[in-house]
Amino acid sequence: MAEKNRSGKLFYPITIILAFFSGGITLLVLGGLFTFISPESILQTLSSPEIRYAIQLSLITSVISTVLCAVVAIPTGYILSRGELPGQRPLVMLLMLPLSLPPLVAGVALLLFFAKTPIGTGLEDIGITVVYTHLGIIIAQWFVNLPYLIRVMRSSFAMISPRYEHIARTLGCTDFQAFRYIALPMARAGLISGLVITWSKVMGEFGAVLMLAGATRMHTETLPIALYLNMSTGDLDIAITTACILLGIAAVTMFFFEHLSEGSDRI
Amino acid sequence: MFLVDNVSLELGDFRIKSLSLHIERPEYWVIIGPSGAGKTILLEMITGIHRPGKGRILFEGKDITLDQPKDRHIAMMYQDLMLFPHMTVKDNILFSFKIRKNKGEDIDKKVSELVDILGISHLMSRNPATLSGGEAQRVALARALIQKPRLLLLDEPLSALDSMTRERLRQEIRKIQRHLNIPIIHITHHFEDVYALAEKVAIMQDGMIVQTGKPEDVFAHPCTPYVAEICGTENIFRGEAFTEGTGSVLKLGDLCIRVAGCFTGPVVAVLRSEDIIISIEPFRSSARHTLPAKVVDLIPAGPFIRVVLDTGIPMIAMVTRTSSEELSLEPGCSVYATFKESAVHIIPTIHTGDNYEFNT
Repeated sequence: MAEKNRSGKLFYPITIILAFFSGGITLLVLGGLFTFISPESILQTLSSPEIRYAIQLSLITSVISTVLCAVVAIPTGYILSRGELPGQRPLVMLLMLPLSLPPLVAGVALLLFFAKTPIGTGLEDIGITVVYTHLGIIIAQWFVNLPYLIRVMRSSFAMISPRYEHIARTLGCTDFQAFRYIALPMARAGLISGLVITWSKVMGEFGAVLMLAGATRMHTETLPIALYLNMSTGDLDIAITTACILLGIAAVTMFFFEHLSEGSDRI
Repeated sequence: MFLVDNVSLELGDFRIKSLSLHIERPEYWVIIGPSGAGKTILLEMITGIHRPGKGRILFEGKDITLDQPKDRHIAMMYQDLMLFPHMTVKDNILFSFKIRKNKGEDIDKKVSELVDILGISHLMSRNPATLSGGEAQRVALARALIQKPRLLLLDEPLSALDSMTRERLRQEIRKIQRHLNIPIIHITHHFEDVYALAEKVAIMQDGMIVQTGKPEDVFAHPCTPYVAEICGTENIFRGEAFTEGTGSVLKLGDLCIRVAGCFTGPVVAVLRSEDIIISIEPFRSSARHTLPAKVVDLIPAGPFIRVVLDTGIPMIAMVTRTSSEELSLEPGCSVYATFKESAVHIIPTIHTGDNYEFNT
């Protein structure tokens, strides 16, 4: 009996200790990154042509692929949320498959698709080269992160009763106008937080980009690729600076996400 | 002017089976039926959200079965109103103008006229989330009516409101219907709405309309057990009420009875047959009415007997077989019918009481 009582009393303290322990570990490991490098050397590295190239390339490709994700994910998420498609369940499972797939596998599949299939070689013939190019970076980032944004948009739209759009249609809207003026603005919070997180995931995309676009210094060198290349050649200053930039992006993203999703789907 | 012709539709668990409805004049229709009867689906089909699998919908002779909702000019209001939360009250009301890009019309004048009638002009810059139930209802009504619809559909518009607000809105909806002179289809599962509003009633059950007509005809000759059930156990009278002292006096033909609450004007009084006690000797108590009556007929109804009484007005009482035997009831004998003042349920109405009688 006494034994039982003691374990009952210990339950909450133990859970609390574990929660703070995990937080402490995270802080120690990630914060520790900054102790390996001085602010001066970060500033110095930031002015090197290689890191500037990587930052620029990452920003441009990530914005393009995030926009492309949105262009596909918003309508797809919308129609899936309305749940009336024939074969919807298998379609959703297929669309969500890349979520649980290692990006490396997606990258290999993309590489073979663009290098070896008639579609890939056909594109090559009309002058669209994907493999080992900037276009390859965008396609790899887009392919791997699209399912995530589809899922976010689908659940954002699913929370909006279709009756709002029914009413809008009786008030003069076409199907598209009801979507444009009612569903989309009502899904705004979900859309913005989905875009921010997608963009941050795209910025850090490594495996699929490595496979499809390769890791060529000053050509397909995004930030994660720069981290990988400099780590393997022992240029620790550049590697750590890159890691700090990516960490900073993640922190800002998390702040935005917390701020945007006040109340409803707070972390 | 409006005809739903033999339509069928299957949608998930709901289905509408060979349903027809013919509205000939700008009249007030109440469709009543249990939940799950397919009432909302029917309205959504009339607006064009769902296409019927079979059958046609006609408006003034023109087939609109395949028209888009936007081209039908049929307005709908759901029970939960669906005010757009990302717009102000004003933008909600003006939404159809913005979408249809109606220019050249005097929009401001139209809007201010309508919001004045509905008494919501002070709410225009508010956020819909801050409105009370009755206010939100009026805003939704304004948004539906501003585009001058040819037909207004109301899906349980009064269910979510407290009884005071409900009463006020009933009067307003009716006033607005007269003002606009358009047909209204109002669906409900509240019987009160039929008494208070309906010029025509349709009974809907399992995706079908099983009976239509004037309320008094439908209640007098119910054609299904459901219709009989919702009206058969009740005495329904139309009359005049006037306030007297702390309560009111209800005048039903030659009969005057006191009731609780303050009412004036035309009303419907409902008295459940179980609430009437029959006795041979008068039954005296302050809060009760005791009326001398003649037994007109005895109708067996399972373990009970429906006793048709004449107290100056026809009334139906429900007694068990045992008490009927104990009282040795038979047609022609004299008894006393007793019921509590509080058992009489009063529903204010718009119709006047001329030759309006439910129990025949």
